[in-house]
Amino acid sequence: MENMIYVENLRKEFKKIIKEPGLKGSVKALFKPKKEIITAVDDISFTVPKGEILGFLGPNGAGKSTVIKMLTGILMPTSGMCRINGQNPQKDRKNYVREIGVVFGQRTQLWWDLALRETYAVLKEIYQVPDEQYKKRMAFLNEVLELDSFITSPVRTLSLGQRMRADIAASLLHSPKVLFLDEPTIGLDVVVKENIRNAIRKINAEEGTTVILTTHDLADIEFLCERIVMIDKGKKVFDGGIAELKHNFGDVRTLEFELVNAPDFKLLDYHRRFKLTQDELASERDGAKATVRFDTAKVSVEDIISYTLSTVHVKDLNIKDVEIEEIIKRLYRREVSL
Amino acid sequence: MRRYFRLHRIFIAQYLKKLMEYKVDFLLGAIGLLLTQAIQIMFLGIIFSQIPALIGYTFPQILFIYGFSLIAKSLDHLFTDNLWMVGYRIIRKGEFDKYLTRPINTLYHVIAENFCVDAFGEILTCALLLGYSIPKLNLPFHWYTIPLLIVVVIFATLIYTSLKIMTSAISFWTKASGHITHMLYMANDFAKYPVSIYNKAVQTIITYVIPFAFTAYFPASYFLTGENPLFCIGGTVIAGTVMFALALFVWHKGLNAYESAGS
Repeated sequence: MENMIYVENLRKEFKKIIKEPGLKGSVKALFKPKKEIITAVDDISFTVPKGEILGFLGPNGAGKSTVIKMLTGILMPTSGMCRINGQNPQKDRKNYVREIGVVFGQRTQLWWDLALRETYAVLKEIYQVPDEQYKKRMAFLNEVLELDSFITSPVRTLSLGQRMRADIAASLLHSPKVLFLDEPTIGLDVVVKENIRNAIRKINAEEGTTVILTTHDLADIEFLCERIVMIDKGKKVFDGGIAELKHNFGDVRTLEFELVNAPDFKLLDYHRRFKLTQDELASERDGAKATVRFDTAKVSVEDIISYTLSTVHVKDLNIKDVEIEEIIKRLYRREVSL
Repeated sequence: MRRYFRLHRIFIAQYLKKLMEYKVDFLLGAIGLLLTQAIQIMFLGIIFSQIPALIGYTFPQILFIYGFSLIAKSLDHLFTDNLWMVGYRIIRKGEFDKYLTRPINTLYHVIAENFCVDAFGEILTCALLLGYSIPKLNLPFHWYTIPLLIVVVIFATLIYTSLKIMTSAISFWTKASGHITHMLYMANDFAKYPVSIYNKAVQTIITYVIPFAFTAYFPASYFLTGENPLFCIGGTVIAGTVMFALALFVWHKGLNAYESAGS
C-alpha cells in the first residue's frame, strides 16, 4: 500500500541558554549567554501507510510533540525531511494544511468566547467547505461525537470532555486525509475516552483517514492501533505491530494468588526454587493477595503454579493476560534492551 | 483576495457577537480612551489660553494636526490590535501553533481574529477635533484633496501596523517582545504636534527611524497649507511601503524560527 506519511532522518535541535540559578544567574546569562544545543528529535525515520492508525509512544519529554509539530508544519526541522500526502509541510504550508487535521489535547483551537457553532462557521470559511458538504459533515460529526447538547454554548463554558470532542470535530470539518492527535484523551473520564476512541475508529474506518496518535493511555493504543512507533530521548526505540511488541518483550506474565493464610506468603521463595534474579521474577503481597510477575523465557507458568499450589493453600488463582502497559513500563525504565 | 474580504466580514460578525457577550468591558474601554484623549486636549487648551500661537501654529491648526494624527492611529488600533498579543502572549505560550495549522496567511489570521472597538473612543475624539478645527481654518481644497487623503490614511495606518508587526515578530526569536512594541509605539505621541517644536535628534528619529511624523504632522501640514506635497505625501507613501515590506520580511523570517512551547 502507498505510504501517506514518509519521514526520513528527521532532526530538531533547540538552542538553549543555560542559566545559573537565581537572579544573578539570569543577569549573567543576559550578558554572557552560555548556549547548549539540545537534540529533541534525533534522526527519526518511519512511514505510515494510507488508512493506518499509528500509535506514537514515548515517555514525557521524549520528543513526540516535537515530531508532530514538524509533521504538521509548525516547526522547521533542523535537518531531514518529511513528506505527507505527497507534500512537504514546510514548503507550501497553506496548501498542505488543507488536507490535514490537528488536535493538541492540551490546547484548544476553538475560539474561547464564541458559541461552538460559530467556531465551526468560521472554520468552514477558513477551509472553504461548500455549504452542502458542511451540512452533511456537521450531521456526521454530530452523530459520531454527540455535539448537539452543547453546540450553542460558548467554548469557555464547555467541560474538558465536551471541549475535546468539539476540538476533534473542528479538526475533521474539512475531511482531512491525515489526522494528527496529540494526546486526545488526556484528562478525560472513562466514558468520554471510550466515546472518543469509537469516534476515531469510525472515522478511520469510514473515510480511510490516516491517523497519528500520541497518548499515555495504553488502552487507546490497544483499542485503536495495529502498529506503534516508540521514541525515547529523541530516538526511535521500537517500530512494529502490537503483536510483535508482545511477542518480543511480552514474555512477562502476571499471576495472582489469593492465599487462605496470608502469612504463608513468606514460605514462597521463587528465587531460590527456580534460581532466578530479581529482574526475572518479582513477587509481592497485598493483604491475602500474592502477585508474581515473571519472565516466561526463564520459568513456565505451569511451574510457578504447581510450586505455589504445593507450598501454600490457595483460595483463588488469576492468570493475567500479557499487558502491553507492563512491557512499555519496562521499556521506559530501560529494563528491556532493544 | 475576495476570499479574505469574505473571511474578514465573518470575523467582524463573530467579533460583534463576542462584543455583545462582554458589553460592559467594551463600554469601559471606549470611555477610557475617550478620557485619555480629552485630558490631553484639555492640557492643550490650557496652554493656548496663555499663548496665542506655538511657533507659528494657531490653536485650531494644532488641533487639526492632533485630530489628523488620530485617524491612522485609531484605524490601526481598530483593526490590528491583536498584534499586541503576539508579542505579549501568543508566541510565548505556543498559541501560535493554531495559526500555522490553518490554510490562510498567518499574519492575516492573527490580525483578523480581533477588533478593538475601544478605538471608537479615539475615532470620536478625532471626529470632534477635525469637526471643530476645519471650519475655523481656511484649508485649500481641490478635486484631488479627498483621494489624496485616502491614500495618506492608508499608508499612514500601514506605518503603525508595520511597526507593530515588526516588533511583535521579534518574539519569534526572543519569545516575548510586547514591551519593545510598547516602547516604540509610544513614540507616536511625538507625532501629534508640529515636529519643529522638537530638537534635531527627536525630529530625525520620528522622520527617518520610526517615521511617525509621516502619520500626522507632515501630511497634515500639507492639507493645512498645500505646500510640499512631494515630501509630505510622497514621504508617507514611501515610509508606509518600506515599513510594510520590512515588516513582512521580518515576520516571514520569524515563522521559520518559531519554536512553539512544550505541551
